[in-house]
Amino acid sequence: MLITDRRSRHVLAVCAAAAVLAGSLAACGAGKKDSGSSSSGSGGSSGGKPITIGTTDKVVALDPAGSYDNGSLMLETQVYQYLMAIPPGGKTPQPDAAESCSFTQPTEYTCKMKAGLKFSNGDPLTAKDVAFTFTRIVKINDPNGPASLLANMVSATASDDSTVVFKLKNGDDQTWAQILGTSAGPIVDSKVFPADKLLADDKVIGSGQYKLGSYSKNTLVQLQANPNYAGAFKAKTADVTLKYYTQASNLKLDIQSGAIDVAWRSLTSTDVDSLRKVSGVKVDTGPGGEMRYIVFNFKTMPGGTDAQKRAVRRAMAYSVDRQSISDKVYKGTYTPAYSMIPDGLPGHTDAFKDEFGASPDKAKAATELQQAGVKTPVTLNIQYALGHYGPSSDQEYNEVKRQLEGTGLFKVNLQSTEWDTYTKERVADAYPIYQLGWFPDFPDADNYFAPFLANNNFAHAHYCDADANGKPTGTNRPCEKDGVLPLLTVEETKTGAARTDALTQVQKTLASGQLPYLPLLQGQQVAIARSNVSGVQDTLDISFIFRFWMLSKS
Amino acid sequence: MATTTASGSLRTYLVTRLVLVIPMVWVLITLVFFVMRVIGDPISAALGGRLPPDQIAIRKHNAGLDRPILSQYWDYLTGVVHGDFGTALTDNQRISHVLWVKGAATLELSFWALLVALIIGIPLGRLAARYRDRLPDVGLRLFAVLAYAMPVFFLGLLLKLLFAIKLGWLPASGRASTNVELAIQNVSPKTNIYIIDAILYGDTSYVVDVLKHAVLPAVALGLLVGGGFLRLVRVNLLQTLRADYVEAARARGVPERRVVRAHAFRNALIPVVTVMGLQIAALLGGAVLTEETFEWQGIGYTLAQYLVARDFIAVQGIVTAIAVIVAIFSFLIDVVAAVVDPRVRY
Repeated sequence: MLITDRRSRHVLAVCAAAAVLAGSLAACGAGKKDSGSSSSGSGGSSGGKPITIGTTDKVVALDPAGSYDNGSLMLETQVYQYLMAIPPGGKTPQPDAAESCSFTQPTEYTCKMKAGLKFSNGDPLTAKDVAFTFTRIVKINDPNGPASLLANMVSATASDDSTVVFKLKNGDDQTWAQILGTSAGPIVDSKVFPADKLLADDKVIGSGQYKLGSYSKNTLVQLQANPNYAGAFKAKTADVTLKYYTQASNLKLDIQSGAIDVAWRSLTSTDVDSLRKVSGVKVDTGPGGEMRYIVFNFKTMPGGTDAQKRAVRRAMAYSVDRQSISDKVYKGTYTPAYSMIPDGLPGHTDAFKDEFGASPDKAKAATELQQAGVKTPVTLNIQYALGHYGPSSDQEYNEVKRQLEGTGLFKVNLQSTEWDTYTKERVADAYPIYQLGWFPDFPDADNYFAPFLANNNFAHAHYCDADANGKPTGTNRPCEKDGVLPLLTVEETKTGAARTDALTQVQKTLASGQLPYLPLLQGQQVAIARSNVSGVQDTLDISFIFRFWMLSKS
Repeated sequence: MATTTASGSLRTYLVTRLVLVIPMVWVLITLVFFVMRVIGDPISAALGGRLPPDQIAIRKHNAGLDRPILSQYWDYLTGVVHGDFGTALTDNQRISHVLWVKGAATLELSFWALLVALIIGIPLGRLAARYRDRLPDVGLRLFAVLAYAMPVFFLGLLLKLLFAIKLGWLPASGRASTNVELAIQNVSPKTNIYIIDAILYGDTSYVVDVLKHAVLPAVALGLLVGGGFLRLVRVNLLQTLRADYVEAARARGVPERRVVRAHAFRNALIPVVTVMGLQIAALLGGAVLTEETFEWQGIGYTLAQYLVARDFIAVQGIVTAIAVIVAIFSFLIDVVAAVVDPRVRY
């Protein structure tokens, strides 16, 4: 009908003419510059087929002084070198750009630089660049930056081109080597980066395995092998492209269809589970550092006395079935956590499993409450954050509710709150029992203890508050009664058996129900790759660093 | 003489409309600014809970947010006049740069969606009018209601399931394949409108790739507007077909097909031109959801990201820019309407 109409034929003719014109222009190639998809060189790599990685993470800034988040760190790790870094499969930091690092005084940490290091633009990398890097982070103190990680640093100075000296406030800081490998550690070129402000993302220069090719922020980033890379680990693939997604569902569709080669952070557990059944795709998992806890507010949780509150905590510990949550809700992408230190890190013990068993024990839970004189059912008002810890928190906490109420000892009121309100209300005693998650700054046991157990800690559960005079040391605080603070000092300043013993003791105390935390789950690292991509499993180690340079495609 | 009067009338109309755009834009900017301040200051909103209060106070002072509100307002107004919409707190990007890059993506999507809307709305509206109250008309009216009543993200999901996943004909998301996107990032001069950049790059397969990526988002968004166009064209055509001059044509023995085509149809389209201006706002609103659904990294997609991050400086800049764009398009549509239909002039 329309085709026979003269006017419609005119419209079609115009459309056809436009298409021909577009095709002709395309054939002319007026603005062609060069192919963005071709590698510009492979000096630091063995070449290999280009790889495309998809992610839902976002970059805040590629200047290390302006970023302290997973999305930025993922790219920074590929572009910059660190003084110390955890090698693949390792558990502790080893010299990277440094030749060696050690304490030369209790409050002085000295690193000797490797010779011959260069940035991707050809500038030599010296101790002066290292000192500049750390000094400018503190000076800029960007709200999105990692300056807080350097709280123990007094200064960073270069005594010569190959020696950098860090002066520290607290001596024998056993976490300092770890700090050098965190978001605060990427070494920048002092000739390129301004000392007092951030550098634009597309201008950054590093000395890592890759340099930036084309850069479209949070859309598409092309990494090319850095021909000046002089480190120990060459890139297996010269050309890596990072593609950003907002919707995990689109990320899933693209890895499924082969539009991308690797999907790295963050697919839902349901998507991961369904991808396990797709041919041509493999699901790789590794130990993860992400933890999920239930936190008890010592002031507002149920129980008339400290003993009753402890009994409630212990009864809950006897009642939850972590494995069931892991299987039903997370399809194995989160695994049971029996300590505040994740399984796989040095110092970890299954303290909660030893104390409460791997399976729920209703009888023991009832006994705990009965002996403390707690009336049952105990009403528990439990809060969880809406969306912040993933889309499955809703299911997770409904499963917790089902398990607790299944014992007949508890009556659970579940409530959820949007994250911004949650963070404010959580520290204002509005939530008696609530969900909390933690992703470490660096993979060390101390990073799982100090923020939760030290003076005026991040949890605000009134476990180690300032005393009545507002001073951080008192005589009657729970953290002083149970002796955790001296143990923290030991694990922060000692090495070897002394440190391991201290970590074990803290975990035992934790599992006694004295402390306001009930570890629930430990997140697995999950990466999905096409079956012709190798190296993914090798990078999923305890360092939580996704190393693009280990990947290759056949 | 008559021509001079007509053009003079048109000139007066255009100048008046142009002058009226200025207070309209001013009111929009003012509203956006003060509504955003009702929520609180942008730095506390974005960084509250992440920095201690003293640090937030320092940053508010540095940003001038502790000054009187009218002083801040004046600075913002002068900034906007000079094309400076501020800098996002969460990713340190200049909003003007974000608008330039992401705005081009939205412009491209809106263009394709408008094309789909016109291709669907006008011929089908004409068809519905011609077969008034018969089966094709009933079917098309039902289709129109479904098209503009169905949430765009839901329609997008259905389209993806059918054409991308089940049939595998079209890509599920994005503006281009990765290799194409990488290649056209290096085009010079770069417009950020992919179809133009792909044409400039000079590879026909890249043009096809970009077009294939545009189909599903354009249809999802275009149907939203196209449904409205269909009903509008139908109603206007029916009214026009009852006009005296049309009856006169019929009385002269002009065939019905020619009556519709040559006498009624063109006049029935005049209100569509006016409504198109209003639909620009609907397109931009719909683009937020369409862009999210299809990973089309345009201004709506970016606005949603900044909203989630509570980056109200960025949100303020983008909303202001959208308001200005809508005002400009409204003016342009007024111009077109005045040219097409002398009755709308003063």
